[in-house]
Parts: sequence; structure tokens; C-alpha cells
Amino acid sequence: MIFNSIQFVIFFIVVTSVYFSLPHKYRWLLLLLSSCYFYMAFVPIYILILGFTIVVDYFAGILIEDAKGKRRKLYLVMSLVANVGVLAVFKYWNFIAENFGFLSTSLGWGASLPYLSILLPIGLSFHTFQAMSYTIEVYRGHQQAERHFGIYSLYVMFYPQLVAGPIERPQNLLHQFRENHPFDFERVSEGLREMLWGFVKKLVIADRLSLYVDAVYNNPDQHNGPTFILATVFFAIQIYCDFSGYSNIAIGAAKVMGFKLMTNFNRPYFARNISEFWKRWHISLSTWFKDYLYISLGGNKVSIPRWYFNLFFVFLISGLWHGANWTFIIWGALNGFYLVFALVTQNLRNKMNKLTGLTRVPFIYKTVQILLTFILTCFAWIFFRANSLQDATFIIKKMAGFKGPVWYENPSMLLYSFGAVLLLFIAESKQEYFRGSISLINNKHWLVRMAVYSILIIIILLVGVFDGGQFIYFQF
Amino acid sequence: MKDNSKKNAYSRFFTRLLVLVLFVGVLDFTAGSILRYFYFKQQSGLLYRTTYALEKTAEDVLILGSSRANHHYIPEEFEKKLGLSSYNAGRDGQFIFYHYAVLQSVLKRYIPKMVILDFTSSDLRDDSRGYERLSSLYPYYKNHPELRGVAELKGPFEKFKLWSSIYPYNSSIFTIAVGNAEFNKKRTEDIKGFVPLRKEWNRPLETDSLQEALKIDSLKLYYFESFIKDCAERKVKLYIVNSPTFRKFSFPDPYIALAKNIAATYQVPFWDYYQDPAFLKNEGKLFSDATHLNGKGAVFFSGVLINRIQAEKDVIGSNETK
Repeated sequence: MIFNSIQFVIFFIVVTSVYFSLPHKYRWLLLLLSSCYFYMAFVPIYILILGFTIVVDYFAGILIEDAKGKRRKLYLVMSLVANVGVLAVFKYWNFIAENFGFLSTSLGWGASLPYLSILLPIGLSFHTFQAMSYTIEVYRGHQQAERHFGIYSLYVMFYPQLVAGPIERPQNLLHQFRENHPFDFERVSEGLREMLWGFVKKLVIADRLSLYVDAVYNNPDQHNGPTFILATVFFAIQIYCDFSGYSNIAIGAAKVMGFKLMTNFNRPYFARNISEFWKRWHISLSTWFKDYLYISLGGNKVSIPRWYFNLFFVFLISGLWHGANWTFIIWGALNGFYLVFALVTQNLRNKMNKLTGLTRVPFIYKTVQILLTFILTCFAWIFFRANSLQDATFIIKKMAGFKGPVWYENPSMLLYSFGAVLLLFIAESKQEYFRGSISLINNKHWLVRMAVYSILIIIILLVGVFDGGQFIYFQF
Repeated sequence: MKDNSKKNAYSRFFTRLLVLVLFVGVLDFTAGSILRYFYFKQQSGLLYRTTYALEKTAEDVLILGSSRANHHYIPEEFEKKLGLSSYNAGRDGQFIFYHYAVLQSVLKRYIPKMVILDFTSSDLRDDSRGYERLSSLYPYYKNHPELRGVAELKGPFEKFKLWSSIYPYNSSIFTIAVGNAEFNKKRTEDIKGFVPLRKEWNRPLETDSLQEALKIDSLKLYYFESFIKDCAERKVKLYIVNSPTFRKFSFPDPYIALAKNIAATYQVPFWDYYQDPAFLKNEGKLFSDATHLNGKGAVFFSGVLINRIQAEKDVIGSNETK
């Protein structure tokens, strides 16, 4: 059941209505059962995998808390091995087998690993990481082990963020399941507003742009450089609106029921450097890697070369987290390289800025920084979106050639796409730079707010893409 | 006290929700009515051609099918050589469901003498093609009960979405605007529905060596057979034609074989030009791309087809005389 479906809207209305009509003590059960139903609407059998990790981590949490000395670490490692093992089998096995086969053939070993004919369980990387954050936090003593199996299961399975995050931490979410959340008009309205904006981002912007992006990236041999440049810029906007739209709907749905999920995006394309970009993009994953991998590797409290290695390695793993394909690994590596390169050249760039006097005109300086960051991000997105490494290199070569007119199936295809980009640009610029000025969507007069909501709904009906299908990040 | 504030919160919420529904309802009705007015005011263009096919056709010969029908059959050639008025009602990206819906709307008004259905594998294959663009029938949903069943095939919730007055015109606003623009009224985009393609295909003949397994969409099969049966019931002479492509196939297409068998069961001619060497020998000069003939190709193909229809008519005629 995807968020941009009528089935979900019906599901949400029914679950929320029952939720508020039930006494507090039964609400966790309703949320757990509805989350099971939500997950089973994809591929029912995969709930067993989820169940396996839930059971393992539930007992691991208790054992870690109750144990002393080396045993604590042992239980943590066992839990992590079980979680990473599930990921390795279901997400990475065929990738490993394919690359082992290639290596084996190249070296003349003649050995091979069997391929598994399995589908990737939806959102596996998300709920596995959320489950891992629980056992790590219990081990670190930041979180008490949850003794209520139902509440713990709900922590992993809470339907708004089950399949694509935000990847929560136990300190933020677990206690919320024990708290009573009465119906609060302001909070419910805020939640619904956030959901509405999420639907606009997904249906009006992301899915609209995907029509162009898919047509170009799925047929690379038929397109030229300028077309690839436009498709890549569109993809940058598409993936942002697709994923942040999902997060808006997830955060909004949870908020309606009284749960506060962490912010996942903060207008990333206004970032002035790659480091800032990663503080604004998929924040729940970036902070996960920072808290549990980067800091464990020593973070920046090590020698400079080791610090650079830590940064690069974390981004390489982040790429692999996204998908079992070299395109994702290269994408991660590129982002790691950008960060290391920025650190290495920091002094040189400062000198150059002084020399050119660019910093004396802050508006131009900021604009150049934002544009450069966007270009670098777009370049990395080529690898993320391309169907293979060969396609990615072909596309880059074509871009460098920069020959021929921009392709479009019909003029309205481009008009709708540019309209969608403009809508996002206006909305995000307003939030980024003109927060204090008159707001329409948060206007103090409720009739104005109603008019804005109505217009957004009309925009969805008028130009929304209703057959857009899955959210991109579900595949991870 | 607590209960009162809870009740107040609920009543405040539902009052606001009601106001929102009213706002949306009024805006939806107003914008939908404007779009409807301008949609049906069009006198040319793609959308107008659908309106014409569904509501205005009175021709003796109707050509139905996907883009391959629309770009391959020249009604004027049929009129000149067969002496029968003709219209090309083919539409890009449409398959058997759409063709069936057009046929139903036509049969409700009059009985054409001849229908040519251009067949493609997607008319039977189990894929999403055929369902995707059924929304092009939505502007006619309210006034054409005969096509509602087909239009609703797009999804289980379509009939509810169609409560909205705007939804039938989703993503059509620019096309409607262009359709009403002065410059569009002046340009000749189609000739009796036929839209010629101008390009020439310069690539070598490709060989498709994939052997496709037969995976039938039972709904498509049902509507394909219903199309044939409805023509037979109303005594409409039906020809099913598989027009040429600029591709070689190592294996026979199982959908064509199936369609041929079905046509044979109902004693309907099925003429297959898919691999016709007459069209493959000209190095793509007759094609605009690998699956579509260009204007020159359409003239040649229409001529070939008309000769065959005439020859068949002569045989029937001579048999009837005997």
C-alpha cells in the first residue's frame, strides 16, 4: 500500500478514526495490527523477516541490559550480525554472487556462488537500521531495554515510517507509544497540512518530472547532451520531492496521531557546500551513519589521513546502503570524494575567494556556492539514476559533447515539468529566505488557510500524476 | 470540562473540514465546468479527433487502432478508390479497450459499412499498455454511459475519482488551451483523422531475436473478441490488419498467431503485413521509426490494402452473382 493511493487514504482515515475513539491503553495494539496490515499489503510473507529481526533485537536488548562485562558486547554483536545478515542475504547476496562470478571468471578460478531468486523486502534497509539503532543505544546505556514486546514491535513497525523512514532513534520514538495523545485540533491540522504538501510534492512535482526523466534515462542511446543535462536536473528535483514528499506524508500522518518524528529534509538544494547538503538531505540516515559508524571509526578525533578515510568510507557504505549496484557505490564514493576534496582545498579556496573579492558581494558569493553544490550533486545523481555504469559513462560523454536540441515528446511535457519546478522553487525559497513574511499556508486567518488548502487540492486534481506508482526509496 | 474541550476540538475540526470540502467542491465544479466548455469547443487537434470519433463520425469506413493506425491509413485514398467516405479514428498509445469504446459510441449512433482494426501485440499482451491512457475517455464519461465500463478499467477507484469535475481533464489544460488557440485553428494537423509522419528512418534493419512467451491479458482478450462479435452482430464488415514494421523477427509473434486464430474462428479476415518484404526492402525510406510508416509509406500501404479489399470485394461480388 503506497502513500499516493486511494487505498492508503482510506486506510489512514479508518485507522486514525478508530485510534481516537479507542482508550489510550489499546491504541498500541491498533497501531501494531494496522502496521502489520500495511506491511503485508506489499508482500505478505516478508512480515516473517521483519518478525525475525524484531524477536532477535527484542531479546538482544533485554540481554544486553541484564548482562555485565564482555557478554553485553557479545549480545550486541550477535544482534548486529543477525540484522546485517538479513540485509546481506536479501539485499546483497545476488550482487556478491554476480561480482564473485565475474572475479572468478577473470582469474580463471571457475568457482561460482548460487543466485537467489528472491524479491527485496520493501523498506528492509530502513527498518533494519532502525532496529540496529535500538540495540546500539541500549548497549551504550542511552536507552532502557523495552520489556513490552508489543511496544517494541511497534517501534520497528510503526506504519508511517516503516518502509522509508525517517529512521528513528529509540530515545525519540519509544516513549511516545506510552504517552497519551488526545485529539488536538492544532496538531491534527498541522499534520494534515504536512501530508497535503507531501502529496503535492509527490503527485504534482516528482511524478511529473519522472515522466521526462524515465523517458530519457531508460533510452540513453536515443538522447543527446542537452537532454541529459535537463533530465539530470529534473531527476535531482524528482528524487528530492519523491523522498521528502514521502517524509512529509509520514511525519504528517504520525503527527495527526500525536507522534513527533524527526525532520528528514531541510531544503537541501539551498546548501552552500556538500557538507551542508548532507546536513539537510536524508537527515535521519546521515545522523545514523554519523552516530553509529563515523564516530565509531574515530570521527575527526584521529590523524588527518585517517579522518579523510573515515569520511570517505562512511559515504561509500552509505552508497552501498542505497542499493546493491556499482552505480550506488560510485555515487557514495563521489560524495565522499567531494567532502574530502573540500577539506583538502579549504585554505586554497579561501585564498582564491579573497583574491577574487567574491566574498565582498555576499549575494553573488552565496548564489555561486549554491549553484556549484547543486551541479556537483547533480553529477553524482547521474550514477544514482543510470541503469548501469555503462549507461552513466555514456550519459556523461554525451553531456560533455553538448550537441543537439533538447528532446521532448510534446511541449506540454516540458511546460508541466517547468511549472512543477517553479512551484517548488517558490515554496522552498519562501521557507528558506522569507520565513517571517506573510504566509499563506500558515496564515492566521483560517479562511485564507482553507483557500490555500483547496487550491493545493485543485492543483493535484488538475496536474497531479495519478499513475506515478512507487516511491523511489521503497526499493532500498 | 475535559470532555467539553474534547468535544469542542472535534466540532471545530469537523466544521473546518466541512468548509474545506465546500471550498474544494465549488472550485472543482467551477474549474471543471470551464475546462469542459473549452474542451468541447475545440475544432481541431488530438482531443478534438477523439470527440469527432465518439460523437460526430458518420463515415462509411472507420479505421481504428493505435498510433500505427493513425499514421498508416489514409482515408482520402479509401474514398478515392472505394468510393466510400472514410475517417481515421486511430489514437496514439491506445489499444483494444479504447477501440472497443469508440466502436460502442459509433454503433450507438449509426452502423458504418466497414471497420478496419489495426492490430498490435499489446491488444492482447498482459502489460499495462492499454490501461494507462484510458483517461482520454474521461471527458465523455458522464454523457456516454456505453463507455463507462471500459473507462473504469483503469483502476478500482476511477469511478469515485470521476466525481470530481476537474479529474476528467487532468493534465489536459495546455492541450485544451492550444486546441482553442487561433494558430491551432488555422493549421492542418490531420487529414480526416490521418496524421502523416514526416521523418525517414535511417537506421539499418534490426533483428529482434527474443522469443516472447505468450502471456495473455484475459480482459483484453474478452474485449478483442467482443469487438469482433459486435461488428458481426451489426453486420459491419470488419478487417483486422497488422500493418508493417521495419524489424525482422527471428521468432513468430505469438500474439499475432493468437489473433489470427480468433479472427479465423469468427471468419474475419486477418491480414498480416508485419514482416512483408515489400516494406522491408526500401532501407527504411517508408518508415519514420521502426514501428511507424511515414507519409510515403502510408500512401504505399493504403494502396496495397485498398487493392486487396477491392480484390476481395470482387471475389465476393462474383460469388454473389453466381
